[in-house]
Amino acid sequence: MQGARTEIRIGGTGGQGLILCAKMLAAALAADGRRVAQSQTYEPTSRGGFCKADLVVSSGEVDFPLATAVDHLVLLDQLAVKPSWPLLKEGALVIADERLCPKLPPGDDSRHHLPISRTALELGSERVANMVALGALVALSGICARGRIEEAVRKATPRGFLHLNLDALAAGFSIAAEPIPAAAS
Amino acid sequence: MNVVSAMPAPAADVRLLSGNHACALAATAAGCRFFAGYPITPSSEIAERLSLELPKVDGVFVQMEDEIAAMAAVIGASMGGLKSMTATSGPGFSLKQENLGYAAGAEIPCVIVNVMRGGPSTGMPTRPSQADIMQARWGSHGDYPLIALAPASVREIYDETIRAFDLAELYRTPVVLLYDQVIAQLSETVALGAAHPRGRVERKWASGPAADYKPYAADGDAIPAMPLPGAGYRTHTTGLTHAEDGFPTQNPEAVTRNLSRLFSKLDGRRDAIDSWETIHCEDAEIVIVAIGISARAAMRAIEECRAKGVRAGLFRPVTLWPFPQAALREAAAKAKAVLVPEMNTGQLRLEVERVLAGAPVKGLNLFSGEAIAPAQIAASITALAKEVR
Repeated sequence: MQGARTEIRIGGTGGQGLILCAKMLAAALAADGRRVAQSQTYEPTSRGGFCKADLVVSSGEVDFPLATAVDHLVLLDQLAVKPSWPLLKEGALVIADERLCPKLPPGDDSRHHLPISRTALELGSERVANMVALGALVALSGICARGRIEEAVRKATPRGFLHLNLDALAAGFSIAAEPIPAAAS
Repeated sequence: MNVVSAMPAPAADVRLLSGNHACALAATAAGCRFFAGYPITPSSEIAERLSLELPKVDGVFVQMEDEIAAMAAVIGASMGGLKSMTATSGPGFSLKQENLGYAAGAEIPCVIVNVMRGGPSTGMPTRPSQADIMQARWGSHGDYPLIALAPASVREIYDETIRAFDLAELYRTPVVLLYDQVIAQLSETVALGAAHPRGRVERKWASGPAADYKPYAADGDAIPAMPLPGAGYRTHTTGLTHAEDGFPTQNPEAVTRNLSRLFSKLDGRRDAIDSWETIHCEDAEIVIVAIGISARAAMRAIEECRAKGVRAGLFRPVTLWPFPQAALREAAAKAKAVLVPEMNTGQLRLEVERVLAGAPVKGLNLFSGEAIAPAQIAASITALAKEVR
């Protein structure tokens, strides 16, 4: 039988590294002994277009491996809101980039508008916005231990980018810890 | 057997694997030592992974100039004695059809993976479909038998890839492995430690006096022995209709004899070839027939419907061609209606209607490039149950 099921979506545009960070999270959860199904939708272009990476996490088997009711939603582009919002569970955790995804529909979700891409830029590269988002997601959802995700990032990162990725992940944990009032939408 | 629920509990050997990578790993485990292909989304990860895996086992990986050449190279490598495979998608599968027919006619063992993406033509490269169900069976011209397998999970892709090689080698036939983009690029936690024990079969090689050897003469088992190059057997292989000696003929008796044998080769082995899964079919008033990701959605829909008192069941062909018709007839014997959810305009439904002639069969067809959701299937089951009660 299907165990308790948690669904996570990371949505944005092609080229933001959403699938990569979903694969890192999937690896961390698999290392935790959880059953994971990780899927994605992307456009046939290397940059741009709606892109999403979903995870279905379960203590038991995963029967249907695609997202149907999302518990944790990360939004790194306004483009991802429309196709993702109808799947949101009541009271879901929503983490949105305040610059790239400023407008959220009304809802009873627990929303966190965070300076994800700005933090990445301050670290020297907008390319690590995915790592900042990953840190914030793990911090706010508690989906796995910090050590687990750090281990997964280490394993999947080329050496030349390891410090930058780990710094970005840590920055994600930091901005998640700062008390930021829910943005009025 | 419920393949998905039979997955063992997480253990030390559990790993996160995508469907395409599972296919590549299974291929080398099955003894595949030659891959020729041309990269095409969403099948490219198979080629990518095999380009890393094959050199480790002294295998050959060739990126050819196109899909036509890749299929030809696979046939040549197989005739040379290696277990051979190609992988493609959409337009690439169309390009391979002529040579696939050659492999069927000349009885060359090979495995062709087709990851189904949206079509027709270039279609939707990154979106799933299940619209090559009929092409897999009837894509090349002329009359020929063929085996197609349709796995529905990452783990099952691993198992069925191995079985594809076993069937190809044992029966000297092309085997198509057919799965949708969702399953192909889905990563799932799988335990390969308890994976398929098969994958060690050897094809029937020519033995005995070389002077008596005829490349297409079969004894009672309808399977001609293949000559291993260099073993001293004279042979001739052609796409033309041939007699037992391998040379072209249009002699009506020889042509009839050869094609009849070709069909009898698979027809006589349905017990070994047919495979399927049933879930809750015993008491089902509505039986769903589905493959791939649509079957995974159906599994969830069935549970939801049963919780609300609607007795639904699933019949999932794992061997898609030849279609496991006897098993479907048995599974649907007591059903009041049959529902066929599929990501096309009704290809699987055609076959189900043929097999269950006269029974009420409804389709649920989505061809938008999105997977069918469990809720859509559950709604169709509920509506159908009301109709037939």
